[in-house]
Amino acid sequence: MTTRPPLDPAVVDSLRQLTPPGEPDVLAEILSVFLTEVPRRVDRLKSAFRDRDAAEVQRAAHSLKGSSGNIGADGMFEVCRQIDERAKAGDLGIDALLDGLDREYRNVEAEIRRILQNG
Amino acid sequence: MDSLQVLVADDEPVSRTVVGAMLKKAGFVVHYAHDGEQAWQRLNGPNPPSLALLDWEMPGLQGPEVVERIRGSQSHAPTYLILLTSRDTSADIVSGLRAGADDYVTKPANEDELIARVNVGARVVRLQLALADRVRSLEEALANVKALQTLLPMCAYCKSIRNDQNYWQKVETYFHQHSGVSFSHSYCPSCYERYVLPELEKLESRDQGRGR
Repeated sequence: MTTRPPLDPAVVDSLRQLTPPGEPDVLAEILSVFLTEVPRRVDRLKSAFRDRDAAEVQRAAHSLKGSSGNIGADGMFEVCRQIDERAKAGDLGIDALLDGLDREYRNVEAEIRRILQNG
Repeated sequence: MDSLQVLVADDEPVSRTVVGAMLKKAGFVVHYAHDGEQAWQRLNGPNPPSLALLDWEMPGLQGPEVVERIRGSQSHAPTYLILLTSRDTSADIVSGLRAGADDYVTKPANEDELIARVNVGARVVRLQLALADRVRSLEEALANVKALQTLLPMCAYCKSIRNDQNYWQKVETYFHQHSGVSFSHSYCPSCYERYVLPELEKLESRDQGRGR
């Protein structure tokens, strides 16, 4: 299995180019929003999972899918897509996927911090 | 050309920020709404943005519901509405367009496609504004023509016209005010014979009298 980078470099590059001349770095803004908002939504997903609330699990997974898709976090996107799909069908047998989500998020977070530090 | 104002309504903050940044880079003035209710308030309020990108799945009011409300409100200025959606089956697209959306963009948005579609919307909006302007000036012109078509009271002797304020105006002034027509003063050949020539002859004979 080839290991893919946590964030698709092409997507990161296109986000970097969204910064208009003389304006604050848009990539940094987007990645900071991700770091602030995503852990909250992961927590919401987990607490909905503990409450066996499939509808809320689905909503949170859908939102996380959007967040990860937008920054090119393809691995995390794929896990969220699967949780979204299962929860939509009322299937909450997603323990392994939740572990996968934690793992993917940790990788993405580390990569974001690396980018934010190196500019 | 003025920058158009665009509303981005999405409860998902990363997507909202990314889409907003794409629009700003393309020169649009961007406003944000965090859910469907806020989007509806903004679009139904004073000075609404003329273009809106609405996420399909938002808590409370969903994108298509916001679209339906806007299309159902009579007083509303026409707004170009684009749905943002990860649903890309043809059934979803059809139901979004049936609700009254002008277009849809799939998420995550590709920058070039998003901006191209928003530019289509901007073109439509500008065209609508230009047409509305044109209709307004045509209506004004029509109102003036109507005023001219009605029966005008005219003095049988001095030819003055009585206006709506019961005031007698010279024909030239009246028509100038109601139709923008301007008059230049001259004389026709028969009046030249009848009035101008005798006047000239009178002046001439007076000069000759002085000269002697």
